[in-house]
Amino acid sequence: MSTIRHRLTPLEKADRRLGFAMLAPAFLLLSAVVLYPIIDLIRTSFTFLHLAQPWMGNPFVGFENYARALGDGRFHEAVWHTVLYIVVTVPGAVVLGLGLALLANKPFTIKWPVRLGLLLPWALPLVFSGMIFRWFFEYNQGIANAIVRGLGFQPLNWLSDPNLAFFTICLAIIWKSSSFVALVLLAGLQTIPRSYYEAAEVDGASDWQQFREITLPMLRPAIFVALIFRTITAIQTFDIPYAMTNGGPGNSTETLAMYIHKTTVDFLDIGYGSALAVLMFIVSAVITTGYLKYTRRDPGRH
Amino acid sequence: MAAIGIDTVVKAYGATPVIHGISLSVRDGEFAVLVGPSGCGKSTLLRMIAGLESITGGAIHIGERVVNDLPPRDRDIAMVFQDYALYPHKSVAENIGFGLKMRGADAVTIEKKVKEAAQILQIGHLLDRKPGQLSGGQRQRVAMGRAIVREPKVFLFDEPLSNLDAHLRGEMRAEIKKLHQRFGTTILYVTHDQVEAMTLADRIAILRGGHLEQFDTPDTIYRQPVSTFVAGFVGSPAMNFIPATIAADGTALDLPGGVRLAAPEALRPRLTGLARKPVTLGLRPEHIGLDAGGSAPLTARVTLVEPLGAETLALVRIGTVEVTGRFPPDSGLKPGADIALSVQLQRAHIFDPETGRAL
Ligand SMILES: Nc1ncnc2c1ncn2[C@@H]1O[C@H](COP(=O)(O)OP(=O)(O)O)[C@@H](O)[C@H]1O
Ligand SMILES: [Mg+2]
Repeated sequence: MSTIRHRLTPLEKADRRLGFAMLAPAFLLLSAVVLYPIIDLIRTSFTFLHLAQPWMGNPFVGFENYARALGDGRFHEAVWHTVLYIVVTVPGAVVLGLGLALLANKPFTIKWPVRLGLLLPWALPLVFSGMIFRWFFEYNQGIANAIVRGLGFQPLNWLSDPNLAFFTICLAIIWKSSSFVALVLLAGLQTIPRSYYEAAEVDGASDWQQFREITLPMLRPAIFVALIFRTITAIQTFDIPYAMTNGGPGNSTETLAMYIHKTTVDFLDIGYGSALAVLMFIVSAVITTGYLKYTRRDPGRH
Repeated sequence: MAAIGIDTVVKAYGATPVIHGISLSVRDGEFAVLVGPSGCGKSTLLRMIAGLESITGGAIHIGERVVNDLPPRDRDIAMVFQDYALYPHKSVAENIGFGLKMRGADAVTIEKKVKEAAQILQIGHLLDRKPGQLSGGQRQRVAMGRAIVREPKVFLFDEPLSNLDAHLRGEMRAEIKKLHQRFGTTILYVTHDQVEAMTLADRIAILRGGHLEQFDTPDTIYRQPVSTFVAGFVGSPAMNFIPATIAADGTALDLPGGVRLAAPEALRPRLTGLARKPVTLGLRPEHIGLDAGGSAPLTARVTLVEPLGAETLALVRIGTVEVTGRFPPDSGLKPGADIALSVQLQRAHIFDPETGRAL
């Protein structure tokens, strides 16, 4: 991009005025539904507001809510679970999504099975996906235990054993989010010129060598985009564990977003919940900024 | 090094045939050029030889082997693509050495061969750069370096110069010719540019709509084209085609507008049996010139003058037809002026107006 500033011509000035005028409605709407709630959230996080104790009012308490979070064991656990989900499901979804994208990029004559496999998880609502997996892993009638029994083993407590519950939730999240990753990577794959592979073919590269020497390095930017977007949504993991275990057994599968939801909606502790939400918002913002910084770098310089 | 044999090769995409049974053989060490208008099947034929397209019918030999069912990597060929197919994430050295690395050569050998190739192509100082930091001509050299390090039996080129400007094209043309003289490896080179074909080739194969029109030396193609298509395709400016009728006694040609040209002795044997028949008369611009006091000058009117420095091209009207002629730069031609023209009819080509074949 050129950094030379030049005076605007009258035509450009008129264009710019029209541009601002057309942006105004969207800006006002976004202010009402995004900007205002964020500001109000931050304000609330510095106050005491408990809907079960209306007589206490809404006094300013400074950093008290944040201090409380520092010493809150359940909050620490929820953060730790969220980190685990990120560490397992982000790479998991990228690997599965890459596989799906490579499959979808092959010139199959019958395309619908791959397309369906690619788009179905994406088209299903999150809670719905969680419910499907809950049925799969249900103790008495679930398909998972039917298979386990068929193989001659004792049925497993898929959803009520803390480790197994974490495992099944990760499976569901990976399956659900691999679609998005696959779509991003498929778009990346289709920008790689065919002649790169043909030249490699003539030069004697095997399929695996072509993947390693061409596909993977050329796909790096797309993989990076998928990783970042997947990480940001993983920080907010809520629906699938909510539908599958509701955070249980105990609170062993509870994520940060679920704990915030419980604090505000179930416990009605709006002030503390707001502080937790602000903390989560800060983490997301830091990662997003890092991502924006990376993509703004000159792509030809690495 | 190896010869290439193409034996009644057919290619169809689904039910649509695009190559209709082409046969030609390129000799060991020969520089052969496939030329023809866009869409005539040049790339398809080349890619079948490379193994990048399946062969619908017929057989392709490289050296002694039939390669129909061999994958590209086993055909011992190197190909230079129109878009160069350089990997943007790899350095020039890595791009050139790619084929060697894929075939398991050791690092020392790769480095040595890459350096040699880079030196031959004068890109030794660019080895650490990425393709994105190179000019078009430099990328072209890298692509060729990538082909020559492999020391294959056959080089295949698909319009390698079409992305370069006219000046660089001339330079790289000479470079490719030098490479061929140096290595003597068989080359099959595809282009749509007849100048490239004429200047580079030992022999030129002219393709039209999936058929082979003529396969011969540039000189023969130029002097003895087998059809109006070949005649019109090579040479710039293009050959003039004039509808004509052979006189009843076979000693003259009647042109539109009542112009009669006496056929010189040299031409008469070729007119026998054609009396009263309509023909297409083919005349190269260099065989139309100013009359220097010859026997039967022809009056023509100049309609357009294009001075090119070394020569002047002019559009002149004979009877009712306009033809292009080549004139000396100092002829002083003026549009609208009448001039005395001489036509070297003994050099003329006679074609069948229906089939376009030479008679
Ligand atoms: N993959 C394909 N499917 C169908 N038709 C094709 C395909 N590739 C090329 N063709 C057709 O084959 C003909 C020859 O193409 P090509 O060999 O690329 O021509 P050239 O290189 O001489 O310009 C064209 O008419 C083109 O439309
Ligand atoms: Mg082509």
